[in-house]
Amino acid sequence: MGRILATRLLRLGATLFAVTFLSFIMTSLLPGDPVNAILGVDAPRDQETVDRIRDELGLDKPLPVRYVNWLGSAVQGDLGESYINRGQTVWGDTIVQRLPVTAQLAFMAIIIAVILAVPIGVLGAYRQGRWEDQTTSAGVQVALSVPNFITGIFLIWLFAVKLKWLPASNWNRISDKGLIANLETAILPSTALALTQMAIFSRLVRSDMIATLQENFVLSAKAKGLSDRYVLFRHALRPSSLSLATIVGINFGALLGGTVVIETLFAIPGLGFRLINAINQRDILVIQGITVFVAVAYVLINTIVDLLYTVLDPRIRKG
Amino acid sequence: MNKRSFTKLLALLFSFAMIAAACGGDSSDGGEDTTDTTAGDAEETETEDTVAESGTEAEGDVDTEVEATDAVATQGGEIAIGLEAEIVGMRPWEDTCGSPCMNVLPTIYDKLMEATADGGYEGWLLEDISANEDFTVWVGTLRSGVTFHDGSELTAQSVADMFPVQQEGATSAGAISASGLIGVEATGDLEITYTLGQANSAFPAYLSRAPIGMVFEPVSAAADIDAFNENPIGTGPFVFVSRDLDNETIVERNADYWGMDSNGTQLPYLDKISFRPIPDEGTRLDALLSDTTQVMHTLRQGTIRDARAARDEGADIFMFEFQGNNVGGGMFNVLVPPYDDVRVRRGLTQMNSQDNVIEALGGTGISLPGTQWFSPDSPWYSEKVAAAWPEFDFDAGVATLQDYVDDPERSDGKAAGEPIDAELSCPPDPTLIAAMQVLEQTWTASGLVTVELTNYDQQTHINYALGAENGFVGDHTTHCWRVSGDDDPSTFLNQALAPPTAEVAAANGLDGIVSPLNWSNYFDAEVFGSLVAATATDDFDERYALYESVMLKLAEDVPIWFSGHTATALGVRSDVQGLSSWELPNGTLGVGLPNAEGRWSMAWLAAE
Repeated sequence: MGRILATRLLRLGATLFAVTFLSFIMTSLLPGDPVNAILGVDAPRDQETVDRIRDELGLDKPLPVRYVNWLGSAVQGDLGESYINRGQTVWGDTIVQRLPVTAQLAFMAIIIAVILAVPIGVLGAYRQGRWEDQTTSAGVQVALSVPNFITGIFLIWLFAVKLKWLPASNWNRISDKGLIANLETAILPSTALALTQMAIFSRLVRSDMIATLQENFVLSAKAKGLSDRYVLFRHALRPSSLSLATIVGINFGALLGGTVVIETLFAIPGLGFRLINAINQRDILVIQGITVFVAVAYVLINTIVDLLYTVLDPRIRKG
Repeated sequence: MNKRSFTKLLALLFSFAMIAAACGGDSSDGGEDTTDTTAGDAEETETEDTVAESGTEAEGDVDTEVEATDAVATQGGEIAIGLEAEIVGMRPWEDTCGSPCMNVLPTIYDKLMEATADGGYEGWLLEDISANEDFTVWVGTLRSGVTFHDGSELTAQSVADMFPVQQEGATSAGAISASGLIGVEATGDLEITYTLGQANSAFPAYLSRAPIGMVFEPVSAAADIDAFNENPIGTGPFVFVSRDLDNETIVERNADYWGMDSNGTQLPYLDKISFRPIPDEGTRLDALLSDTTQVMHTLRQGTIRDARAARDEGADIFMFEFQGNNVGGGMFNVLVPPYDDVRVRRGLTQMNSQDNVIEALGGTGISLPGTQWFSPDSPWYSEKVAAAWPEFDFDAGVATLQDYVDDPERSDGKAAGEPIDAELSCPPDPTLIAAMQVLEQTWTASGLVTVELTNYDQQTHINYALGAENGFVGDHTTHCWRVSGDDDPSTFLNQALAPPTAEVAAANGLDGIVSPLNWSNYFDAEVFGSLVAATATDDFDERYALYESVMLKLAEDVPIWFSGHTATALGVRSDVQGLSSWELPNGTLGVGLPNAEGRWSMAWLAAE
C-alpha cells in the first residue's frame, strides 16, 4: 500500500508540473491580450494607461519569470487574482465559491446515472438477447449518441418552456434560497449530464453482470431456490459493481472539469462557466487556477479510487 | 414493485410528460389580448412629443415607437432580467461597461446627463450645463437634495473628488483623454466647472455614460477600490444588495431616491431587480418564455427573429426593438496591399450583396442595410450619403477590381492578371460564418479573388486588428467588424478616423495623435479636420454638414463595408411596462432603448 501511495504521489507531482507549465505557456501565448478585455474594444485608451495596467498585472515581465512567480505563490496556496474581475482571488473567490456548484452537479449527475444504469444494466443482462435487452440497448445507444447540450436544450424546452415546472436557467444557492429551490435549478442540468453517464454505466453493469451470472455461486444460489430478483441484486450485483465503482470515481473527476457546456447552456455559476468566460477574456490566472485545480482533483480522485479498489479486491493488493 | 410495474411507471411518467408538454403551452397564452395591452404602452396615447422630431422612421423599420404615454404606473413588484453576459465589475470608472453593464450600473449610479429622443443631451443629476464660447469650460449645476446610498449628501465637491479616482481608472483615463478633460472643480456647493484642454462641444455626451458620466461616492472609492466593487455606492434609483458572479446581481428600491415621474410619484416603481447573465441566446429566450425571467436582453438578430416567432405563436411577450447606429460588416486594412488601393476596396464592396448577407445573418425584416455610420432613424443620417454608397452591382464590382488586377503596377506585387488574396476573418459565430460564406462565394465567383475564411475567438480577432506589435498596423486584411454607436458621433468617429500610426501622424503634422482604435487604418487629413471642426461648434446644421462630408468621403474611399444596422431588443413579459416611454426629470422624452439598455427606474408592472 505504501509503495502504491508513493508511486501515486510521484505521478501526481509530475502531472501537476506538466499541467501548470503547459497551461501557463499555452494560455500566455494565445494572441489575445487581457488588457483589451479590461479596457473594452472601442474604449478610448492611451499608451500610458495600457502600460500601467500591464505593469500592475505583471504582464510586462518575461514569460518564464511570470511562471516561476506564479508557481512560487501557488505552492503557498496563493493562485493569484483575476485580471478582469479585479480583487477576486482565484482560490477563495473563484474555485472555493464555484466548486460546490460544479461538485453538486457532478454528484447529482452520477447519482441519477447510477440509479438509472443499474436496473437497466441488470435487466439487459438478465434478459440478454431478448426484447427487453434490445430495447434498453437501443435506448442506451441513443443516450450515448446525443450530445449533452442537445439533451439540455430538450429538457429546457420540455420542463421549462412547455410545462413550466422548472426554471430554464441560473442557480439557486441552498444558502440563499433553500434546498428545494436549489434542486429546482439543479435537476435539469444534472439530468442532461447524467444521460451519457447512465449509458456508460449501464453497459458496464450489463457486461459485468452477464459474466457474473455464469459464476458457480450464482448457479448454486439459484439451485437453492432463491428468487431471481434476490439472486440478481443480493448475490450478483455486488461483484458486478467493481468496474462501476471505478468508472464512477473516474467520471466524477472528469465531470468536475467537464461541465463547461452544460453550465454555459444553463448559466450556472460553476467552475466550467467561469473557465469559459476566463478563456474568452484571456483571464490567464483564472484559467490557470481552474485547470490546475481540476487536474489535481482528477488525479486525486483516481488515486483514491485505485486505493479503494485494492481494498475492495484483495487479489489486486496481493498482486 | 416488480419489474413490470417499474417499466409501466417509467412509461407512464414519460407519456405524461410528453402529453403535458403537447397540451400545456404557455399558461398565460391568449396572446392577442395581452400583446395588444402591452403594445398599448407605446400606442395608447398619440402625442406630438415623438421621435419624429429627430427624423422620420425609415421605410421597413420595425422599431418600437418612442413616445410618451399617459398610462398610470403602478408601484411594487420585482423582475428578473436575463442579460447576454456577466458584467465585468461594479465600478464605472474602472470596469469596461458594454450593453449588459449599461442595464445594471445605471440602477446604482445616476448619470450626470442623459440622451434625449432628438439626439441631444439634457441634465439628469445636473440640472443644467453650459459652455464658454470655445467649448473649453463647462459649468453645470447639480440637483439639490440628492443623497448617496450611504446617506451622505451629493455636492459639487463629491463630483470634483471623483476626478482623481477617474484619472487612475482603467477605462476612465482613456475617456478623460479623449474628451479633453483636464480639471474638475467645485465652484459652488452645487456648481461644477469642467475645464478642457481642447474644444469639445459634445462634452455632455461623455457625462451621459460610464466611465466618466456616472456619479459614485468618491471617498469610499478612493479608500479601497476592491472593497467598493463589493459594496458600490451611488445615488441611483436602486441600492446594491448582492452579487453572485456569473449568476445574479440584486438591487432593491432606493426609498430615498430623488426622482419623481410627471405625476409626482417617487421613482423607481419596482421594488427589486435581479440581473442574471445567460450567455446562451436560446436559453435566454427560453428563460423569458418560461417566466424564469421577465425581461430578455439581446443584441442578436437571430434571437429577435426567434422571439418574434414565439410571440406570433401566442407567447405572452412583447418586443421593445431598436435599430441602432451600430452597423455590422467589415473593414479593409488600408495599410496592407492590395487593400491600400481604392479599386480593390470599392470593387469588393460593390460585389457585396447586403440583402443576402443580412439574410444569412438572420436579419431579414429586422436589420436595415447600412450605408453609413448612422441608421436611417438617426438625426445624423444623410440621404446624400446613402445615394453615394456603392450599392450592390456585381458586374460593376468585377470591372472595378479587374482594373486593379490587370494593372502591371498593382500594389500587392503580383503579376497582372493574378487574383488578389483575401483572408476573410470573423469570430466563430454561426451566423457570422454564414454571412462570410455569402461574401466568399460572391467574391470567388468573380474569378479575381482567392478567399481564405478564418475564424478566431473574439480576443484573438481583436488582437489581430489592434496590432500593438507592429505599430498598430495590425495583421488583418478583410476583417468582420462593427462600427459606430448611438452617442454623439464625435465620441467614436474622432478615435476611429484619427492617425492610426505614429508615422501617419508625423506625415500629417499631427505628432502625438495616434489612435489604436482606427482599426481600418484609414486616414484622410480633410476628414480628420472635419471631425475636429465638428467638436468646435454646437450648431446642429453645421455639425451635420461636417459629418455628412466625412461620410461622403468614406463612401468614396470605402475603408469599411456594411451589412446591416444592429437591431437590439428587450423582450419582456407583457406586464412589464414603461420601457419606451421614459422621460427625463424635465419632462423631455428619453431616447428609448438604444443597445437594449432599459431605464429601469421607470419600468413598472401592470396589475394583473
